[in-house]
Amino acid sequence: MMNRYLISMFIDDELGLDDKIAFVRNVHEHEQYKNETVELLEQEKILRSDVMEPFPQPEIIRKKRKVIRLFRPAAFVAAAAVLVMFALLFLKGPVEQTMIPYRFVIYQPDVARAEITGSFTDWNSVLMQKVGSSGYWAITLDIPRGEHRFTYILEGEKRIPDPTIMTRERDDFGGENSILSLTRET
Amino acid sequence: MDDYKSFYQAWFDKLFSYVMRMTGDYDLSGDIVQESFTRYFQHYGRDGRNQALLYTIARNFLYDHWRKLKHREAVDTVDDIYSRNPEDVVMVREEYKRVIAAFGKLEDHERDILSLVLSGDLSYRDVATIVGTSEANIKVKIHRTRLKLKKILQEDQ
Repeated sequence: MMNRYLISMFIDDELGLDDKIAFVRNVHEHEQYKNETVELLEQEKILRSDVMEPFPQPEIIRKKRKVIRLFRPAAFVAAAAVLVMFALLFLKGPVEQTMIPYRFVIYQPDVARAEITGSFTDWNSVLMQKVGSSGYWAITLDIPRGEHRFTYILEGEKRIPDPTIMTRERDDFGGENSILSLTRET
Repeated sequence: MDDYKSFYQAWFDKLFSYVMRMTGDYDLSGDIVQESFTRYFQHYGRDGRNQALLYTIARNFLYDHWRKLKHREAVDTVDDIYSRNPEDVVMVREEYKRVIAAFGKLEDHERDILSLVLSGDLSYRDVATIVGTSEANIKVKIHRTRLKLKKILQEDQ
């Protein structure tokens, strides 16, 4: 007897070995069973596709790193020269804090103005740029490593934290700030 | 912290999709997902990474929310709330709005188990534990629900 539940078990990777034998037999022997399987698999592709518009994760724009192989004499000399330069800089004064270009992105298709404010802007508002007609607003800011707090401001008044960053804390205005941690790995 | 982050990143989208299929409401889904992770890490975080537990927490929040809403406003049935939202949610993919609307036509328990199965790496056993039924029952219901949804989607075309 045909067991139709095996089709869903097949889709959901729930078949044991005996079930697999029965399922393959059913597919081979019954045209209707095969069609139902294929139709439900096609439907499953739709059901399991992304529910939401893809939301770009804030990304770090990295400069391309050149691989320096120490066994190459030229590369070795270059590396030594860089070390000397660093040493000279260090002797002259404190090394400047490394700044990392960080791209902030938020999806807000229905607003006319989006700004960002945070500890890295001394809590001054900085206007974000609209990304074509995609509904996204973005800005790339150079910020130092470490922990930062920030929030987006919509239409000049509504403050919203970054929906892609889980760590948040209450601010003094009854809203929330996102906490961005820029470590060595990020 | 890294553990926390990787678990959050691995399950955020899946849990969000589950709650979206259940509610069709973007803002509500965001709140429930946020609350669920917070509750999970506050109370159960030390016991390893247990996605079935995370879904159970989210589901409890969801049902609590609906229960309170029903008590407060008799007019707002779950169906009303579900059906008026999907088209308004700009973040939902245009192609998926039809699916969300079709989910709204399923019975609550059907929507529940199918959403759970679709949302990630939950086995039938996990789903059975979450909804408090037997694995055998899930096997039967999940297939019936898929066929029912197929019919609804075909009728809507």
